[in-house]
Amino acid sequence: MPSINLSGAQKNYGVNSANAVSNLDLEIRDGEFMCLLGPSGCGKTTTLRMIAGLENLSDGEIRIGERLVDSVRSGVFIPPEKREMGLVFQSYALWPHLTIERNTDFGLRLRKLPRAEREARVEKVMQALDIAKYRDRYPSQLSGGQQQRVALARMLAVNPGVLLLDEPLSNLDARLRLEMRAELKRIHKEFKTTIVFVTHDQWEAMTLATTIAVMNEGTLQQMGTPNDIYDRPANRFVAEFVGSPPINILTFGAPNSQTARAVEAYLGERYPSLRGIGSIGIRPEAIGYAANATDVPPGSFAGEMTVTGVLPTGGSWILELRNDSDTLFLTTNALPRIETGSSVSFFAPPEALHVFDRNGQRVLEADALLRRNTLN
Amino acid sequence: MALVSETAKAATLPDAATAPTAWQRWRYRTKVASREPTTLIGVLTALLFTYLIVVPIISIVLDSVRVQFGHERRLGKDFGELTLYYLDRAFLSPVSVDLFWRPLFNTLSVALGAISLSLIIGTVLAWLISRTDMFGRRWFATALIVPYMLPAWTFALAWTTLFKNRTVGGQPGWFEAMGLTPPDWVAYGRFPIIVILALHYTPFVILLFGSALRRFDSQLEDSARILGAKRYQVALQIILPLMRPALLSSMVLIFAKCLGEFGVPYVLGLPVKFEVLSTSLFRSIASRQTGVAGVVAASIMLIGIITLMIDARLVREARRFVTVGSKGSMNRQSRLGKYRLPATGFATLIFVMSVGLPLLTLFLSTIMKLPAQFTLDNFTLDYWIGRDLHTVALQTGVLLSPDLWAAAKNTLMIVGLASLTSGILGLLVGYVVIRTPVKALSVYLRQVTFLPYLVPGIAFAAAYLSLFAVPRGPMPALYGTVTILVLALIADQMPYASRAGISAMTQLGKDPEEAAQIAGAGWLRRMFLIVIPIQKGSLVTGVLLPFISGIKGLSLFVILAVPSTDVLTTYSLRLVDYHYTQAANAVVLIIAAIAYLGTLAAQKLTKTNLAEGLGS
Repeated sequence: MPSINLSGAQKNYGVNSANAVSNLDLEIRDGEFMCLLGPSGCGKTTTLRMIAGLENLSDGEIRIGERLVDSVRSGVFIPPEKREMGLVFQSYALWPHLTIERNTDFGLRLRKLPRAEREARVEKVMQALDIAKYRDRYPSQLSGGQQQRVALARMLAVNPGVLLLDEPLSNLDARLRLEMRAELKRIHKEFKTTIVFVTHDQWEAMTLATTIAVMNEGTLQQMGTPNDIYDRPANRFVAEFVGSPPINILTFGAPNSQTARAVEAYLGERYPSLRGIGSIGIRPEAIGYAANATDVPPGSFAGEMTVTGVLPTGGSWILELRNDSDTLFLTTNALPRIETGSSVSFFAPPEALHVFDRNGQRVLEADALLRRNTLN
Repeated sequence: MALVSETAKAATLPDAATAPTAWQRWRYRTKVASREPTTLIGVLTALLFTYLIVVPIISIVLDSVRVQFGHERRLGKDFGELTLYYLDRAFLSPVSVDLFWRPLFNTLSVALGAISLSLIIGTVLAWLISRTDMFGRRWFATALIVPYMLPAWTFALAWTTLFKNRTVGGQPGWFEAMGLTPPDWVAYGRFPIIVILALHYTPFVILLFGSALRRFDSQLEDSARILGAKRYQVALQIILPLMRPALLSSMVLIFAKCLGEFGVPYVLGLPVKFEVLSTSLFRSIASRQTGVAGVVAASIMLIGIITLMIDARLVREARRFVTVGSKGSMNRQSRLGKYRLPATGFATLIFVMSVGLPLLTLFLSTIMKLPAQFTLDNFTLDYWIGRDLHTVALQTGVLLSPDLWAAAKNTLMIVGLASLTSGILGLLVGYVVIRTPVKALSVYLRQVTFLPYLVPGIAFAAAYLSLFAVPRGPMPALYGTVTILVLALIADQMPYASRAGISAMTQLGKDPEEAAQIAGAGWLRRMFLIVIPIQKGSLVTGVLLPFISGIKGLSLFVILAVPSTDVLTTYSLRLVDYHYTQAANAVVLIIAAIAYLGTLAAQKLTKTNLAEGLGS
């Protein structure tokens, strides 16, 4: 199975408009399950469509394996029908005038495969995706989840080296979505395809991907394993986009923020090099709380706040803490035995602090400092 | 393709800091565009429509400021030189009153009268049909649209059958025959034209206003009521402002239609010399006043273009409101209570007046020897199937006349060929407009195919006459041939055909085709395996609707057809001119039947709504 390589890929719709994708370098390795993650309008779908050849480049080039398929400067363009990929559309795009079997069969017929082999392969994917019993129906007679599976089957039938998926789960209800996620993971194993998956849903990306590429405003923000993305966000955008409830951000020098001043003082005192550096982020689940200040573990960043909300989410709870200037969210798995309006101490260990510079980029030396500190 | 060397070159690449050169960009874009014939097809169709639509219009505008054949001596200039003579003659000279100003005034007064009347009737009916519990709402919803499916001058002929008086020779009208001489103002001219056009165009109001009413969310009314607004306040402050675009839009459309209407004023205006712009244009052409005809035609076009530009603005405005009644819209019916019966009676009355009475009159007139004499011996089928009649010409019933069948054959061939071509071209245009990466091409195609819509048919026909009457370049003179009729019809029908094509392609979206592309299908395969099969329905509509409007169309043919290329409409008009009233009415009934059944068939076949075929 080939790898996919984008270098300096760029897309703008018209000379004066902003780049939908700018200067994107992306490598999708053989057999990977890559998620392109980002808010709507971040250029992830455009990227996918550029890989498929449905969108032309404004600059840069794309390679599939060793083969150059798209390059503005060398004047190369291999059309989508010759790129040998699969793409599942958000809308499924089943052909309404063909039965399920003919939909699935379509690509194989074009490849002029002998009838027996065609039938065998169609049968295999239809069985694999559990749609064989609908073979003579038309797409409009199927439910969303079934259509979804037909759309997948149609692409898998031709056994593409690369399978592109454009938010394929977004039109399904929660339960089906869960089933399809498992299905996709299974397909990835069974068919050994490289999968590129576009989504704006971070849970989808986290649960499915082997690698996540986070995009925003047309540029790649970070590429890494799901754990990387979550535990070591490369910048504030990634930190804030991934995680729910979102990461708590305290910006240094924010005029009225007591907590920001407190964390600035806390860091500055221990690590002079981090004085006045930018902002810090703390994940909600990394914050602990205690009714008495004496229960706060020594060495952590801590403070006093009032509980203004206890929100059960089923199995865990979100606490909203406030003082005059700031709001913090923390999550806990233990039933909180406190009441709204009471005052609590919150605390976070130094290794839970994500330090960003004034441009919002992660300060790597801070990681070294803060984590070593915990080792000692 | 030398992939290896490409790869090698690419390795030394890309300096992302510098943009690719213009040459590189151009080469890449050409490469992308040349993968598919879309752009090529677009360029070819754009050229075709430039020739079929833009050039004739330019030609007639030029005619109006250039010395025409036969006027060289009088103007002291050579043929084709620039002159203001025709403009002067049409706008300023003593005859300008007859040539332009009075017809203009008449056109405007007729249009305004028709608009007012149809608005009054139409809004009430639209409301009754879409928002009340009137009896037989569903039936009326279709029945009251029927007048629009019939040619407008069907009603004009029915009117003369009833009200014709001694001012004109030939068989008298029923009232005259019964001894009640209708005054001229009832029999001919402004009054009957207004009434007939109003009845004919009321369906416009019913469809446009009705659909706006149906889309109107009752929750908007409810919100106002809950906040304490009284019924009349709701009507004035909520409903009316939201309905205004639909109302204005139907007004403008009726105006544009009245501007080009030829048959009705021709039949009813001629006896009392009541001229509107279209009949004045016809007279100028008939009397070989090409220059003046150019001026009048260009004026009609100009008025038409201005009106429809106003309409385009209104539609934009209306679109602004569309989001208002988005999802969860509710449409609640008002209870009429004790007015339920009278309301139904009103709708029935309008139906009888606009469909029942005219058709019945026409039908009876074709089976009666003497008008308004309802005795058994006066009835006969001779006018349909008789033989050896004692008339100068047309000595058989109309169904046995070879002329009718020749005309029918011509109609079928000319209109059929034109509709088929324009339907296919429409789908192609739709495809190119939606798919081509060359934006300028898409915009040009969209606009050029829409242009004939702004030009009333009669002016368009005049433009064709001006361009193709004489040989130009490689084109031989086409006047009197089937070709010119087919070409003019194609051009005239393109607005509907391309609009149908564009909307069909927009609805289809690009996903199904892209999915096929990913699956490995090239352009031709995608066209024949995906696009055309999915678009079968709209292709049928795109052919059938122009076909129906072509069959009942008159204004194009009346200028471009000659006896050898007679179609049903011109044939019946000729019969009117010769006062073969019964035969003329019979032919008109045949046309009406074809148009009506065709529309129904189109609806059944494609499950489309009439409202979508509106304006064709």
